[in-house]
Amino acid sequence: MVKFIPLVWAALWRNRTESVLTLLALSVAFALFGTMLMLNAAYQRAIDDTRMDRLLVACAFDCGAIPLGYREQLARIEGVTAVGAQSWIGGHHRDERHPIMVMFVDQGMRAAWPELPLSSADWRALDANPSGIFLSHQAAARDAVRPGDMLAVTTYLGSNRADGNPAWYFTVLGFVPDPPGWKSGVATPTSNPATVIGNLSYLENSIQAAERGMVNLMRVAVDRPENARAVCREIEARFTNATPALYCVPARDDAEETADANINMRQISLGIGAAGLFMILFLCANGVAESVRERLPEFGVLKAMGYGDGRIASLVILEAALPIVLAALIGSALARVVDALVAHLAVTGVIDVPEVHASIAAFGWALAVALLIALLSAVAPLYRLRHIDVAAVMAGR
Amino acid sequence: MSELRQVAAVSLIGIGSLRERLGTALVVVIGMACVVGVLTSMLSLTVGLTRAYLRPEDATRAVVWGGPNHFDQARSLHPDAVDTILDAPGIAKGPDGAPLADAEFLMRLLSMEGFTAGSLQLRGIGPAGIALRPDFRIVAGQMYRTGTRELVVGLGAARKLGLGVGSEVRMRDGKWPIVGVFSCGGDIIESYLVGDAPTVMAARRRAGFAQVIAQLVDAKAFPEFQRWLTENPALTLFVERKTDYDLRTAGAKTAFFTRMTYVIGAIMALGALFGIVKIMYGVVRARTREIGTLRAIGFGATPVVVSVLAEAALLGAIGGLLGAAVAWLIFDGRGMWVWGAFKLHVSPALWLLGLAWALTTSLIGGLFPALRAGRLPPSVALRVQ
Repeated sequence: MVKFIPLVWAALWRNRTESVLTLLALSVAFALFGTMLMLNAAYQRAIDDTRMDRLLVACAFDCGAIPLGYREQLARIEGVTAVGAQSWIGGHHRDERHPIMVMFVDQGMRAAWPELPLSSADWRALDANPSGIFLSHQAAARDAVRPGDMLAVTTYLGSNRADGNPAWYFTVLGFVPDPPGWKSGVATPTSNPATVIGNLSYLENSIQAAERGMVNLMRVAVDRPENARAVCREIEARFTNATPALYCVPARDDAEETADANINMRQISLGIGAAGLFMILFLCANGVAESVRERLPEFGVLKAMGYGDGRIASLVILEAALPIVLAALIGSALARVVDALVAHLAVTGVIDVPEVHASIAAFGWALAVALLIALLSAVAPLYRLRHIDVAAVMAGR
Repeated sequence: MSELRQVAAVSLIGIGSLRERLGTALVVVIGMACVVGVLTSMLSLTVGLTRAYLRPEDATRAVVWGGPNHFDQARSLHPDAVDTILDAPGIAKGPDGAPLADAEFLMRLLSMEGFTAGSLQLRGIGPAGIALRPDFRIVAGQMYRTGTRELVVGLGAARKLGLGVGSEVRMRDGKWPIVGVFSCGGDIIESYLVGDAPTVMAARRRAGFAQVIAQLVDAKAFPEFQRWLTENPALTLFVERKTDYDLRTAGAKTAFFTRMTYVIGAIMALGALFGIVKIMYGVVRARTREIGTLRAIGFGATPVVVSVLAEAALLGAIGGLLGAAVAWLIFDGRGMWVWGAFKLHVSPALWLLGLAWALTTSLIGGLFPALRAGRLPPSVALRVQ
C-alpha cells in the first residue's frame, strides 16, 4: 500500500487548485458534521450529568414559595439523606442590561447539592460572613470585581428588604465556575451566567418579617437513584393537604422533560449533520469519478503492466481516502472553533446552551465516516475501471 | 452581433451542454439543495412560532401588564387597576357597549405524564377574551360555564398531552374536568387550557391578573392609550402594542435557534462555495476548446464570463428551489410543540431567502472560474486537448 503513495500523491496534485478547493469544501463540511456531533453530545451530556438521586421540591400550584419549616419534615421521610433550601432574587449591578441572579442557599445544600462548586473552605467562609457571596467568573470579570470588594445588587421588584432599600450589599468572598457547567439538574436560576451564590440566612434576616420563613425551592438528596420516584411520590402524598402542597421531581426527569419541551437540539443536530454528510458524499464521489475518468489511459497502462483489480481498487480507494481523512482531521479541529461560536449565540436567562467539549468519540466518528464515504465514493469508478477495454483506453478511444 | 445577443448565445450553448456534464451539475444542485433545505427547514420553526403568536388582528391591539417581567407571568395587576385600564381612551366597544378588553390570569399546571411541569399553562379569561378571538371555536364537547370548575383545552395541548373531553386536571381545590376542546386558527392559545378567570383565580387564591389585552379603535389610538396609562401616577404599568409584544415574546424564545440557523447556513454555504468554485473550474476546463472557438470567431470576453456565471446561477437556483421544495414537502404544516403548539411554516419569504442564499453563493462561487474563462487567450484555448 505504501508504494502507492507516490502515485496517489501525483494524482492528487495533478490539479492543485481544484485539489485544494476540494479539501477546503470537505473540511468545512466536516467542521459542520463535527460541530453537530459535539453539540448533540453536549445536549445529551447536559441530561446525563443531572442526577436521579437529587430531587427538586417546589410549591405544587404555582405559588412560588414554600415554608422553610418543611425542611425538617422532608428530612424525616425514608430514603431522604439531605435537604437544602434556596431562594433567589434578580437584579443588576451598575448596568440594568446585565442581570444578576443571587441564589441564596442554606448549609443543608452542602449535602443536598454537593455538585454546587463550593469547597469546604468556601462553605465555612459563607457561614462566617452572612453577607458574603461567590460570583461566577463571568459576572466577576464583567464588573472587574475582586475578593473583598463590595457588590451592590439593585432588585427589579423594588425592595422586599425590611429597611426598604432596593439595593442589596454583598462582600465578594471568591469565585465559582460559570453555570450551566454546574451539574445542577435544574436550570433555574443557573441559566444566568452572572449567577451569584449567597447565604440564605442573610436573606432571611434582611427581608420584611412577613416574608421570612419562605423559600423558592428545596433540593433533596436520596439514598439510591432507583428510590427517587418513590420518594417523590411519598413527598407529594405527605403534603397533599398541606398549604401549600408540594410538587416533587427527580432532577434527571426534570432535565429530560425540559429538553423534550424545548427545541429538540439533539434531533436537529443529527439532521444537519446528515445533510452535511450528504454534501460530502456527493462532492467526494464526483471528485473520484472525475479523476478516474480523466486518467483512464493511465489506468489502462497499469492494467497492461499487470496490476490486478485488487491493486487498482486499493489505489483508487487510497486516492479517495487521503483527502477526505485529511479533511476530517482539519474539520474536527475547525469544529472546536465553531462550537465556541455557538456558545456565544446563547440568550442569557432564556436559553441554556450546554458546554461543548471536543470529544474523542466525535473525532472517531468523523474518521470512520470519512473512510466509509471514501469507500462509497470509489464504488462507481471502480466498477467502470473493472470493465474498461485496456487497448481502447490506451489508444485514447 | 450585439454583446447582449452574444451573452444569450454563449449562455445557451453552455447551458445546453449541461447534459454532458450531468454529474458535476448534480453536485452543485444537490450541494445547494442541502444548504437551502437545512436553512429553510430550521427557519420554518421560527416562522411558525412567530405566526402562532402574531395574529393579523394584533396590529390594533395593546397589552398592558404591571410587573417588572417583560412577559406575561407576573400576575401583578390588581383588579382595581384593571378597572382603571378599561376606562382608558381608545379602547373599542363591543356590541353591548362594554370595552373590548380582557384581563387574563395565567398559571402553570402540575406535571402530567410525559410532560414537564410549568410548560402547560392555564389561561383564565373573561367574556371579552372570546370576543377578542374571532377564530375561537369549540370543536368537541362544550364551552365551560362561567362560575363553574370546568375547563376547555386547546387543540395543540390536547394533541400533545392526549387530553380530551372527560379528562381531568389537578388543581389546588381538586380535579377539574375538561368539558371541551377548542381551536383558534392556530393561535398560541391552542397550547393552553382555558377557564373562567374569576373562578380560576378563586381556586388559585390569587387576586392579581397577568395582563390586559385591549382592542383599540384603530392603530392610531395607541399613543394616547399608552400615554394615559403610563402617565397615571396611581399606576405602574407597562403598555406595548400587541404586535411588538408578540414579536418580542416569540423572538426571545427563538433567538438562539435563529442565530444558530444562520451560522449553520453560512458554514454550509461556505462549504458549498468551495465546491462550486472547484466544479466551475472543472467546467471551464472542460469547455476550454469551445470557449477558444467562440473567442476566435468574434465573441467577446464578457459574454464568456457571463455565461459561466449564468450556468453557476442556474444550477444554484435549481438547487435552492429543490432544497426549499423538499423542506416545504417535509415540514410545512407539520405540528410542533416548543413552548406551545404551532405548525412549521415554509413561507414564501423563506423560499425567496433560500433562493437568494443559493444565488449569492453560486454567483460568488462562479466568479473566479468565470474570470479565468474570460481571460483565456483563444490561441491557447484552441490548442488544449
